[in-house]
Amino acid sequence: MTSADKPTMIEFKDVHKYYGDYHALRGINGKIRAGEFFSLLGPSGCGKTTLLRTIAGFEDISSGAVLIDGKSMANVPANVRPTNMVFQSYAIFPHMSVAENVGFGLRRDPRSKAEKAKAVEEALEMVGLKGYGARAAHALSGGQRQRVALARALILKPKVLLLDEPLSALDKKMREHMQVELIKLQRQVGITFILVTHDQEEALVMSDRIAVMFEGEIAQLADPETLYRRPNSKKVADFIGTMNFIPCEIVSEAGEHVTVDAKGLGRVDLDIGQAPPARGEAPVVGLRPETLTLLYPGQTATERATEGVIDEVIYFGDMTYYDVYLGGTDVEVRLSMRNVPGRPVLDVGTKVQVAWSPSALVLFR
Amino acid sequence: MAQSSSSEAKAGWLLVSPPAIYAVLLLAAPLATVLVYSVLTGEKGAVSLPFTLENYQELFTKPIYRVLMGRSLMISFLVTLATVLLAYPIAYYVSFYVKPSKKALWLFLITIPFWTSYIIRVSLWRTILGYDGIVDSVVMGLGLSDTQLNILSNGVASIIITLAHAYAPFAVLPIFVSLEKVDRSLLEAGQDLGESRWMTFLRVTLPLSLPGVIAAVLIVFIPTVGDYVTPELIGGGKTPMIANLMETQMLKQRDQAMGSAIAVAAMTIVAVISLIFVLLNRRFLGARK
Repeated sequence: MTSADKPTMIEFKDVHKYYGDYHALRGINGKIRAGEFFSLLGPSGCGKTTLLRTIAGFEDISSGAVLIDGKSMANVPANVRPTNMVFQSYAIFPHMSVAENVGFGLRRDPRSKAEKAKAVEEALEMVGLKGYGARAAHALSGGQRQRVALARALILKPKVLLLDEPLSALDKKMREHMQVELIKLQRQVGITFILVTHDQEEALVMSDRIAVMFEGEIAQLADPETLYRRPNSKKVADFIGTMNFIPCEIVSEAGEHVTVDAKGLGRVDLDIGQAPPARGEAPVVGLRPETLTLLYPGQTATERATEGVIDEVIYFGDMTYYDVYLGGTDVEVRLSMRNVPGRPVLDVGTKVQVAWSPSALVLFR
Repeated sequence: MAQSSSSEAKAGWLLVSPPAIYAVLLLAAPLATVLVYSVLTGEKGAVSLPFTLENYQELFTKPIYRVLMGRSLMISFLVTLATVLLAYPIAYYVSFYVKPSKKALWLFLITIPFWTSYIIRVSLWRTILGYDGIVDSVVMGLGLSDTQLNILSNGVASIIITLAHAYAPFAVLPIFVSLEKVDRSLLEAGQDLGESRWMTFLRVTLPLSLPGVIAAVLIVFIPTVGDYVTPELIGGGKTPMIANLMETQMLKQRDQAMGSAIAVAAMTIVAVISLIFVLLNRRFLGARK
């Protein structure tokens, strides 16, 4: 990603937040770069929305510091922070027209009325709602409300745009459409976007970098590819997409190399980069379904192959998922195959060869 | 579909017919009687033909009617103003600052004044406001004044105080309900978009709660214009309002036709003012949906 050399826009320094006895944020550290599309990803109750609200100024922090563009936000109220938010409910003012909603934050703007009206029209055009200004806000659809909320925030040219699960209320088609639109919009305006979502797919699609949060802590902060291919814990691996976990024993560990004996796979040599720091858990190796391949007659494995029996077939149209027992074990792995012409969907009970590559493995221990 | 809606309509008529009959007999019929009486000639407790507009002529020419109608409107206007201004902060506090689990208790407490009969409450106000009453004792005890204030001697002021206290709970409830409906994220949005809490209140909360305010205005204004008990008991009959004049005409002068004409005129004025508020309300309700 090219944003690596960009300056820091937001910095968390050991941020803690208590609600009474409940410890909602447990020492958040991290930096969000200027112009970055950043996501806070995690299950509900992990503190991601709380963290977003500490940036906006709607939540006080119990200790630590939140810095925006190098300035501490302690005692800076929400209305003077250089951030704007798109609320989960969109929070469109129901007693105002679309134009009045979009122009809400321009009251103290010194520009003339005509110039402000022009700015509102431009903001509406940017989100694809040109000519909607005179409409009553309550007559809009969900997708349109969201666009109004976006225009209303972006017209103020904030340093940071905060998006609190903005797509969760939309249907699947609309959501996918808006994901692409948001990415385009972010590139166009160049503002730092911070998105809160519980949808890992959404985070992977949209973000330059993602912070995965569990129970008030950031478990991993990385770009989508690293997060997907090299998760730093079993928990992160399990939350992002699907991963097969296969019990293993660590045979030897020396310098840059780790050798494991995985059930059903046999002895595998791993690079130290495939083994994130130990956590004292029972060792397992992880494999994504798409890194496993069924060998059809006439095909040979380029690296390693293991025998197995198909236990379950799940047909998805473009893809087929197979659950396969690895030869002579009770280890079941899921693998995905693209359905292409000349490659029939196999039946349950078929004996198959499963090809895999040692470099796709991740070791959790 | 058509069949079910027609049977639904039948069920609906069945449900509304008892109150509808009740309303016709006890509201519409007396109202029609008053309308007819107002254009007859009244004398010694009886009315007689022919139809005449003399009563209305007298109503518009004799200053006493205008003075009392004006006083009634002014008193209810001030009572409404005082009540809504007092009720809004209470409703706001209960809606925004009281824990959800305690709100029902607060609303219950607000109804406490209703536990006592209105007559007793009015009498208590006499004790509080009267010569050497509680207000006077406190003011003189603190050395704020050397002489008795005797607020009770000021009929208009004491009527307003008494009525505002009596109607405050009626005003709190509709305002509270409209404030409860305000989506709290709108207030955060207001601040997020650069407005202070106070400006957010003015630009978001207040306009969104106006339907409740207008409902409160109607609930207080309409009955207070025709209030009869308070001026009698608090003003000692020295500060009569329009309803007291109706009573005098109807029962003491035994001129039911003139009394009816006053009633019709007062009703018309109140109806016109109320309609203006209803139209205002519709404008705001229309914008909310």
